[in-house]
Amino acid sequence: MTGRAVSFDPRGAFADWWSGTRRVGLWATLAWYDTILRYRRSMLGPLWITLSMGIMLLGMGPLYSGLFDVGLRRFYPHLTLGIIFWHFFVASINEGCQVFIAAAPYLKQAKFSLSVFVWRSLAKQVILLAHHLVLYLPVAVWAGIGITPRQLLFVPGFVIVLVNLHALAIILGILSARFRDVAQIVTSAMQFLMFLTPVFWMPDRLPERATFILLNPLAQMLDVMRLPLLGSLPAPGTWWFLLGWTTLTVTLAGMLYTAFRHRVVYWI
Amino acid sequence: MASLVLDAVTVEFPIFGTHAASLKTTLAAAATGGRIGRETGVTVVEALRDISLTLSAGDRLGIVGHNGAGKSTLLQTLAGVYEPTRGRIVRQGIISSLVNPMLGIERDATGYENIIIRGLVQGLSRGEIRGRTPEIAEFSGLGDYLSMPVRTYSTGMLMRLAFSIVTSFRADIVLMDEWLSVGDAEFRERGAVRLREMIQSTGILVLASHSPELIARECDSVVELEHGAIVARKSISRLSAADGTVV
Repeated sequence: MTGRAVSFDPRGAFADWWSGTRRVGLWATLAWYDTILRYRRSMLGPLWITLSMGIMLLGMGPLYSGLFDVGLRRFYPHLTLGIIFWHFFVASINEGCQVFIAAAPYLKQAKFSLSVFVWRSLAKQVILLAHHLVLYLPVAVWAGIGITPRQLLFVPGFVIVLVNLHALAIILGILSARFRDVAQIVTSAMQFLMFLTPVFWMPDRLPERATFILLNPLAQMLDVMRLPLLGSLPAPGTWWFLLGWTTLTVTLAGMLYTAFRHRVVYWI
Repeated sequence: MASLVLDAVTVEFPIFGTHAASLKTTLAAAATGGRIGRETGVTVVEALRDISLTLSAGDRLGIVGHNGAGKSTLLQTLAGVYEPTRGRIVRQGIISSLVNPMLGIERDATGYENIIIRGLVQGLSRGEIRGRTPEIAEFSGLGDYLSMPVRTYSTGMLMRLAFSIVTSFRADIVLMDEWLSVGDAEFRERGAVRLREMIQSTGILVLASHSPELIARECDSVVELEHGAIVARKSISRLSAADGTVV
């Protein structure tokens, strides 16, 4: 493949990824300003989203608990975390498509590791997630969810999800830089996946023959973050599934990063 | 030690038509053997062809050529933006590109915050930026405005801030597209002195320009680009003599 500057040098690619990853001061600061500058533009800034999410939850909780015939005390915490985490997944994945396109002014001026911009985007989403998680506190207190050691499992769950979202952003960011319709395809796919993921509905209401749809990676990612905070345990199979899925996404991201990291700037 | 060596560097851009930029069309074409969405052809444009250059500390290189001759692409390639599709490039030293001084400026952030952001983008540590801030602030002459969001600045003020920031960086290799000159008459004068200081302390300067006078004044050698290839290399005195411009 002459004239394509495709490289096959995994060690060089890893060094490049790492040199961007360790510039924490840069990407964390950019993500921080991405957030606080939104506060300056409007009085409530990102809290607007928290507020509108809170209002949506107030409306949807009683309605869906009636529709699904599930007690509100059991349903509300499930729904709250479901919507908060789903929003986090969708925002990270949709924005993941734009990471390199949006970073064009930087990438066209000087040499930057692509990973800087992936971390910038993910860090911003984590800051927004922290805004939204505040909503869960009153719900958890109201529903009488006590503090148990099980909640510590949220930490490894969150880490595995972050690794996945980082890898997905690299994959989708590179594909979107080359093919401009990827972002639209991903947006539609995420809307569709929302119905296949127990964001609103309770997984235990699913008929036996349909439980296979819980095998979608997003449902599994939701489980390892939501169940610990609800005070219960994700199934051991969930961890194994996610371990396998993560190996897959990280390998694919590594391959694309190795082959096309020099090529992205030619496409954007 | 600053050095910049290009060995037969070629940079080719793929130009994707609407169809080639679509995953759906590309997949459809691949699946149907080209019966659906067959126009997925990719045109390749050679932006730079077989460029060889050897620059070491003390060199001042001018790049001339018509619009579209490849001057900007060459500057970007020197900066490390484009990895050559063929050939090799070896860089040594810190590179600072003054091509777009406004890079990374956040309109809703204050002047001081923009100094921090731009410094981090350049690769400086927080401590180094803190150390330099008073000097940048003073040179910009923006005073209390630096505590206000830069979207409230006039264009001239914003350029002054950006100029003051980027010219405070010390680099081994400086890349510039035309002479950087901003602000009112008074600032221009001070700016010229400051830019000259920066350039004097740098190892290598590469300056693209349409102005023979500027090139003659700042550079000791010049390459002329045409359609992405070097068509002429001259030492500066010969260029001046050939063009009839007297320095």
